Amino acid sequence: MSKIWKTTTMLAALAGLGLLGLNRAQADEVGQSTIYGDLTFVTQDMLNQAEHDGNNFLMTHGNYSQTRYYPNSQINAFNVQHLHPAWIFQTDVMESMETAPIVVNGVMYVTTSFDHVFALNARTGEQLWEYKHKLGPISVYCCGPNNRGVAVYENMVYLATLDAKLVALNAKTGKVVWQTELADPELGYSETMAPTVVNGKVLIGTNGGEYGIRGFVRAYDAKTGKLLWNFHTIPENSVGVWGTKDATGHDLHRDIAAEKAALAKLGDPYKRLGGGVWQNPAVDLKLNRIYFNVGNPSPDLDGSPRPGDNLYTDSLVSLDLDTGKYVCHYQYIPHDVWDLDAVSPAVLVDVKDNDGKIVPGVIHAGKTGYVYVNDRRDCHLIRFSEPMVPQENMFALPTHGIGTRMLPGANGGVEWSPMAVDPHLSLAYAINLHQPMHYSVAEAAYPAGKLWLGGAFKVIPGEPQWGNITAVDYDTGKIAWQVRTEQPMIGGVLATGGGLVFTGEGNGYFKAYDSKTGAELWRFQAGAGVNAPPSSYTVEGKQYIVVGAGGNTQLDYKRGNAIIAFTLY
Amino acid sequence: MRFLCSGCYALFLALLIFIGQSSPSAAQNAPEKAALCASCHGQDGVPLDPTIPVIWGQNEGYLYIQLRDFARGARKNDQMAAVVQQLSKEDMQALAAYFSKQPWPNLGQKAPPSDIVKKAEAIANSAQCPQCHLGGYLGAGVQPRLAGQSQTYLRKTMTDFRSGARANNDWMTALLKTYSDADIAALAAYLAGF
Repeated sequence: MSKIWKTTTMLAALAGLGLLGLNRAQADEVGQSTIYGDLTFVTQDMLNQAEHDGNNFLMTHGNYSQTRYYPNSQINAFNVQHLHPAWIFQTDVMESMETAPIVVNGVMYVTTSFDHVFALNARTGEQLWEYKHKLGPISVYCCGPNNRGVAVYENMVYLATLDAKLVALNAKTGKVVWQTELADPELGYSETMAPTVVNGKVLIGTNGGEYGIRGFVRAYDAKTGKLLWNFHTIPENSVGVWGTKDATGHDLHRDIAAEKAALAKLGDPYKRLGGGVWQNPAVDLKLNRIYFNVGNPSPDLDGSPRPGDNLYTDSLVSLDLDTGKYVCHYQYIPHDVWDLDAVSPAVLVDVKDNDGKIVPGVIHAGKTGYVYVNDRRDCHLIRFSEPMVPQENMFALPTHGIGTRMLPGANGGVEWSPMAVDPHLSLAYAINLHQPMHYSVAEAAYPAGKLWLGGAFKVIPGEPQWGNITAVDYDTGKIAWQVRTEQPMIGGVLATGGGLVFTGEGNGYFKAYDSKTGAELWRFQAGAGVNAPPSSYTVEGKQYIVVGAGGNTQLDYKRGNAIIAFTLY
Repeated sequence: MRFLCSGCYALFLALLIFIGQSSPSAAQNAPEKAALCASCHGQDGVPLDPTIPVIWGQNEGYLYIQLRDFARGARKNDQMAAVVQQLSKEDMQALAAYFSKQPWPNLGQKAPPSDIVKKAEAIANSAQCPQCHLGGYLGAGVQPRLAGQSQTYLRKTMTDFRSGARANNDWMTALLKTYSDADIAALAAYLAGF
């Protein structure tokens, strides 16, 4: 027996006895250090170039512009019919799944409901580590115990949790590096969004618009977790200009005299006005600004305790990245009493203004069913799209008793689901819901951190529900194509350089469409609702499409626990 | 309101006095203070009266919030008001943690006939019940488990929400106001047998 063999045998024996101190967590560490350096390290330059990165998928929505456009074209309209599962990973959590997989040089990070994080080998689906966040006893959330994913930066992975914590993990081990409490969960604060990291800052918003919180977007130091700046999404003067119409000119039926009387009596309602931020801010590196959408006011359906326009709810807001100072905003619905807010993420694209000139634009899909196109420089509205879903009786006031029938329902339109964009076609792809609902109002005092809707919205039994995938030309506002689905849609969209659009359905189908025409080119039955945004990546010359199939709490789609990666060969 | 079985009341009062004199360490005392709870909620997790809820295996956040609401007077119940007078926030958290870790008891409630199930499912879909109470009606965090809860308690609770007698969740009141007695009965039977 050679000396080397003896040594190896001895070490193996010691390791078997646990005498080398190798515990399982250490053994599971990801060995990505190579002669080229540490391949799991994410530089700011990598993040800046993410939209041109044909190998990785570095952010929840692909890149800082949040286009969800993946440039690789290996999988394309001509060969997508050969797409098949490469591997399936099953998590240990069977509940709603909204994660957008992040991929860094062959390592994938996904999350589940109740805030578990998994690192996987993106080639095989093999688990590298798991982090289970120990949730505190109080976690308050309206729409399922969801998590939409992580952010990656340098050697860390960042997670925001249902009990309103921001957690930094070691990317190689899943061990906690730092953790900070964002707000008191007993007051209705919680987190389901993925953070965004830029220039050493972790950007995070908050849920709680249904609980009488005061919303925020914040920046934390990526290395230490120290708060760098805070922006209240509700300013101390939230009254605004007493707008009587929405962005598209619909009458909102406000009783301004009654609201002014209420304001004189109650004062400005800013402390409990809601204004959650559900999705990542987009980052304009040139202007050094961020753009995000602020959600509904609290209570959702009862406007009586919150006179005024309720700034900046239902608005696009832009801030200075370095300081968090306000730059501009645009409110789509002043004094919303329908929960028809702005929850889908902002997307930065160049758009044509009304004179045909190319200007920096920011677009998003509202629960109203419109895609709104704003100018990035001063936030003003350039145009809005044709409605993607029926709008019946829209903005009729909620009533007592059974309530007012109205479309879209309170889930939209478009929910939190991110759009994708193909900048070569000037098309934005949104997924829609058609859910007729009754909106009723019931006055209720502030319930100290509990659900505060001020009424109820109920799906109308017996009325058909369905969904759409809609391609909108953001230079004209016209619908380029639309595909009907048998159920309301929730999850998200991915567009690729292969001329494809991917999205999933509650019935378990994951489908690919021709991005120009909407023709269905491929489908796969995943066995549980595919209600998460897909991602794509390329490792060792092989492109993959990956998506979570875990169903959805909000629409009660069949639960599962699978991450499925697809490839051509 | 009928709350306690008649034979339990003396035991309940005796335990109340005993617990009130107990030492302050919440973590250590959780099982001891839990003994008081057992006088109504059952030694083995099966409540002594069907109007009393199962708390064994109930979600921790929900249990804590209910104790807190009893203390604040947001949820009214004379007996529980007397109990929570003895409890600090730490006691409440410790009790909630303790009971959440106990196994959910099987009350032996059978699933209702298919027509009741169908009716209840239509109501649950309209009211979007699983959006808060989650898949399988198991709840999580501050949302209560409904699956397998006492049918009588569920029916009474929903009726009390509807009338406003239980006033610590306005959303439930607004939601249930549009449902009939028969609707509530169907939902209670469905959830109890889940």
